[in-house]
Amino acid sequence: MDSTTIDRTPFDAIPSQLPAPTPARPRLLFIATGLVSAAVAMGFSGLVGIYVESRHDLRATGETWLPRGVEIPLTQPNMMAFTLVFSALTMFWAVTSLKNDDRNNTSIALSMSVMFGFAFVAQTAYLLTIMNLPIRGDEFGRPPLFFAVIGSHLVIMLAAVVYAIVMWLRTLGGEYSAKDLEGLRGAALFWYVAVALYLVLWYAIYITK
Amino acid sequence: MALTETRPDSDATVSQVAPASTTLDSLLATGDHKVIGRLWIGAGSLFLLASLVLAAVAALETTDLGGFQIMEDAGQFVQVWSLGREALLFAGLAPIMVGLATFLTPLQVGSSSIAFPRGAAAAFWTWLVATILFVIAYVDNGGPGGGRLDSVVLWTVSLGAMVGAIVWALVCVATTILGARVPGMSLERVPVSAWAFCVFSLVGIFGLPVLMGELLLGYLDTKYGYLPTSTDRLSLLSIGNSASLAPALYWIAIPTLGLAVEAIGVHTGRAIRFHRSVMAAIGLFGILAFGADLLSFSGRGRDFSFDNGLLVFALLVAILPALATLALAGDSLKAGSPKLRSPLIGALAAGLLTVLGVVVGALGTIDPIIGFIEDVSGNDINASSALVLNGTAFHEGLRALVTGAAVVGAIAALQHWGHKIWGRSLSEGLGLLAVFAAAVGTLAWGIGGVGAGFLEAPLLMVDSDVKDGVELLNLVSVAGVVLLAAAAAITVVNVLGAFAGRGSSVEPWTGLTLEWATDSPPARSNFASMPIVHSATPLADASSTEKDPA
Repeated sequence: MDSTTIDRTPFDAIPSQLPAPTPARPRLLFIATGLVSAAVAMGFSGLVGIYVESRHDLRATGETWLPRGVEIPLTQPNMMAFTLVFSALTMFWAVTSLKNDDRNNTSIALSMSVMFGFAFVAQTAYLLTIMNLPIRGDEFGRPPLFFAVIGSHLVIMLAAVVYAIVMWLRTLGGEYSAKDLEGLRGAALFWYVAVALYLVLWYAIYITK
Repeated sequence: MALTETRPDSDATVSQVAPASTTLDSLLATGDHKVIGRLWIGAGSLFLLASLVLAAVAALETTDLGGFQIMEDAGQFVQVWSLGREALLFAGLAPIMVGLATFLTPLQVGSSSIAFPRGAAAAFWTWLVATILFVIAYVDNGGPGGGRLDSVVLWTVSLGAMVGAIVWALVCVATTILGARVPGMSLERVPVSAWAFCVFSLVGIFGLPVLMGELLLGYLDTKYGYLPTSTDRLSLLSIGNSASLAPALYWIAIPTLGLAVEAIGVHTGRAIRFHRSVMAAIGLFGILAFGADLLSFSGRGRDFSFDNGLLVFALLVAILPALATLALAGDSLKAGSPKLRSPLIGALAAGLLTVLGVVVGALGTIDPIIGFIEDVSGNDINASSALVLNGTAFHEGLRALVTGAAVVGAIAALQHWGHKIWGRSLSEGLGLLAVFAAAVGTLAWGIGGVGAGFLEAPLLMVDSDVKDGVELLNLVSVAGVVLLAAAAAITVVNVLGAFAGRGSSVEPWTGLTLEWATDSPPARSNFASMPIVHSATPLADASSTEKDPA
């Protein structure tokens, strides 16, 4: 073998003098979403705790918990539970699709999730109208508790819908892909928490009455 | 078609007349964590001073219990007392701690900015507007027990917004520490004060929303007529108890422990040896403050009672991590060469007062423990009624000790990092005076309240029959609050002096954590290049590498 020296300059595409690349920004949005979800869950759990304790205290005096004339049907709450469970599945579908860079399925799944979310809001509004629970005029102060728990969950669900829509638009804009789906994962996490909180509400208020 | 190939003159005209960024613009539109941190600290300090003045006025009213000397009636007294109590925590101390965390933690973890800078700015402005509305609500007879229904509603909304803004600011701080650390800085290598801010943030994020839930119920109860009279609305006082009674109150003391350890390390020239143990102790202290409070509320708001097994357990056990934190930091005091500067003296005083507060908190469990023993044994112990501290002025004394310790800690922190924050050293003489006044004031306020509690004086001493000596103890409390307010005023003056460029521009001391690796005040992006971290004391590593490059 001859001793000709090979000029390696053309192969050094990355000069050694260049600084190291800046490390990728960690998952700040996902971490923050986790923290906010925890805060939301704590606030909601506190309200449910107060509700359960107030119910227990009143029943201990021999009173019935539901004010006279108020009825909580089970059809709507059950349908709402199914709606949200389905929405959690479609949200999971959206995240999985984006992981595979399948934008069409991501959009279909997200649109279904958002639709389920709006359907839930509409069903809650309808349920409140047929429960026949006026907010004033109760000697034990029960209606504010009902409205606080149900209303705060409604707000949480609306926030989850808005978060999902924003992340959907960002995904359509190309900000998120299989390489980085932090935003969509954050929206999905908040969605799952909202669904889980409804299941607590469903049992604590609608089932046990 | 005509083509214009030269740029029209109007463009140049526009660029010439484009307004330069004004100070107001830079304040309102900033996302720089250093500016936001300074805003929190500045506004919080002013509200802290105002809240202490209110606390002094309320305490002064109780020095002569024969009638009302300053206030018109019991309702007005309760409102002034309540405003002072809530403002001290949510308009004064918590914002100062949030400000310190917002300024320091990105620097300490080597980040160029705080997570969600615009969100952090929005949190400050939301809090400021809400705090102004909160004060307006009280001025318009709208606190708990208030006579104007609309203003009481405004009180619930504004206090909820203040707490919500603080929670969001804490999310930004916690996210920065958990997710924006420089490569090489694992969580166990985070500086102790940053770790304390992280625990403080997490406990706040988990605990404060429960208070917001209670405020939501208070809003609905008030708005829809379930609390029709001002006497009914006095029940809203219990909402504030959720954050103002131990052990939930220990939340505000969490950063104090971290700041004390950090200052001891720097001013003894000896970094804390038991870094991970100190972190574990501070974490446990946070868990006890948070976990116990989960079960402490009853119905709508919490009563003045420690009558709950988990509360008793937390109050007793909380002594251990608080004591352990100081004991572990004491190693640096022993092995290093302590320099008796205002930050070190303040840090030691704050740490010791925190431990004292936690020990006093444990005294509140005597009555429930006696009750438990009587239940189990079936015998009546015939304990002195003086040991029944639930619902007495004891709670006021305990609150004074813990919040006072946090005030001392905040003053020490401002003395310690003042040059880093404002680029000028704070006056050492004024700092020593403020630390001394705050520490003595805290002790006096605490002793007055706790002593009155042992004399069975009720928490709100209005139209009450009390034993001899209570009025004298109340006078001691007044002296304490006045001293604490004077300390806050001295600190405000000291900070204004530094802000006006009076102090030395030479950095007075340096530490081993990353905030000392950059200019004072730091440049916009904090660091010229990304710091390299191999341990909990990156600057010590850097200096040893310079000495021994091999």
